[in-house]
Amino acid sequence: MARVNDAQLEQWKLEGYVVVEEALQGDDLRRLQAAFDRCAAQDKAAWLDELALGTQPGAFFDIQQPLERDRVFAALADHPSYVDLLMDFLGEDHVFQGIQIRTLPPSPVSYVGWHPDYAPDTPQHIKLQIYVEDVPADGGAFAFVPGSHKPDAGPYPVYDDLEDMPGHLVFSGAAGTAILFDNHGWHTSMVNTTSLPRKSIILSYGVRQPTA
Amino acid sequence: MPRIDAHVHVFARACSEFPREVSKQLPADREESVEKLLAQMERSRVDQAVLVQIGGKNLEHHAYLRHCLKAHAGRFLGIGLVHDDDPSPQDHMDRLAVDGDIIGFRLMSMGGPADPLAPMDVRTFSTYPIWKHAAEKDYVLWLYPQAVDAHTVPFLIDAFPQLRVVFNHMLATPGRGSFSWDEKGRPLVKLSQFPPLSRYATMGLHRYENVYVHLSGQYAFSKQAWPYRDLTEWHQRLHIPKDRMQGFGAARLLWATDFPWIVEEPGYDKMTRVVEELMPDLTQQELANIMGRTAQRLLRFPDLPA
Repeated sequence: MARVNDAQLEQWKLEGYVVVEEALQGDDLRRLQAAFDRCAAQDKAAWLDELALGTQPGAFFDIQQPLERDRVFAALADHPSYVDLLMDFLGEDHVFQGIQIRTLPPSPVSYVGWHPDYAPDTPQHIKLQIYVEDVPADGGAFAFVPGSHKPDAGPYPVYDDLEDMPGHLVFSGAAGTAILFDNHGWHTSMVNTTSLPRKSIILSYGVRQPTA
Repeated sequence: MPRIDAHVHVFARACSEFPREVSKQLPADREESVEKLLAQMERSRVDQAVLVQIGGKNLEHHAYLRHCLKAHAGRFLGIGLVHDDDPSPQDHMDRLAVDGDIIGFRLMSMGGPADPLAPMDVRTFSTYPIWKHAAEKDYVLWLYPQAVDAHTVPFLIDAFPQLRVVFNHMLATPGRGSFSWDEKGRPLVKLSQFPPLSRYATMGLHRYENVYVHLSGQYAFSKQAWPYRDLTEWHQRLHIPKDRMQGFGAARLLWATDFPWIVEEPGYDKMTRVVEELMPDLTQQELANIMGRTAQRLLRFPDLPA
């Protein structure tokens, strides 16, 4: 069980992200990798067919309905390696909102530019990205602008080249690394210029809203 | 400012002088002549245009295109067709371009792996010889890739950063089975959503200064009548950065009508106003770029006599 320390809390407040190395390791990680590869292999033919039809993008490949496919994916929602961080950052009333199990093929261009997911005046949200295999900096790594989650941050111009964003950090990481980030902050996926696809899982969390 | 229609088609009745392929949509006795186009252009104060070959890829199929370019020198530039699986397309390309008025070639397939996770070596793509020769000879490539090609295009563009590339029809990439003809005899492309999902593979190409996009074919993709307001957001995204997307800017956008498909509905003159309708916030300079200056500069249109 991870314990949230003062340094992590401070970093979260100031910079809007925390990295948990070896969040998944050993058998946990191996089971996740096996489930990822098995489901991807099962879905690939359908993805390629839909890509040709124009009903799925070729720029990334998401496993369909993963929570119904393997319990290892559902177990990621409150994994002990980071559930305390979620509790501290979002409160006990946080809710799991969804999961993307994504393969990112190599390409000279990124599928997405720098962006926040939400406007500054919306309730807090967190995304958590888990690397399923090692991700080098040039392998489509996640990138974030520390401090950009704050309401008074920015403005952030749109740059032609992702590398031109001032102050950004690129998060290379070993398989099993988890990156929590406040997705009011500006983030992107850097270009994958390697010959290998990036395999990662993106979990989304928010705060339960009172019903009317 | 020059007004340049960056993508039109003309064709003659199929005959020995102007042989062409015949289809249900292009029967042998149908013609959409350059004179008809010129009349429309003059009525709408359009100065010049890009004639895009239709009716076959063989050299002889280009006879009417070459005739029009010669008969109206300075008014038109041409885009030819080339067999995209020809391992030695150089002679075909050079023979068409010999007079300097056919300035490039249209490709509708890239010939790369259909699987984005497959190794991507552009030298193995069937169109690689075309790209390589176009880069060596400074020809323009006029791209209308299919959805299955979208992920391969960035590799080719990255390999040939000096090559002028114009994406057709708002960067759309039709999927298999999405293309048909409507009751007015116009191309109809049914995409599952617009902006197209292929944008995730192609929108990032804005970072390459040699990549341009022409704004045309709205009638084929829109679910609404002119001025096709359901395409407003996509036009604006192609122009300026917005949210997660990054735009090409007015200096890399070209307006086009896709004549003759639009003559009956909505009419040529209305198509000259579609950019203003869908992008009302353009400055006069931006509008001038999209309506002609970008094409003039990129394609090196000659100045017309005053």
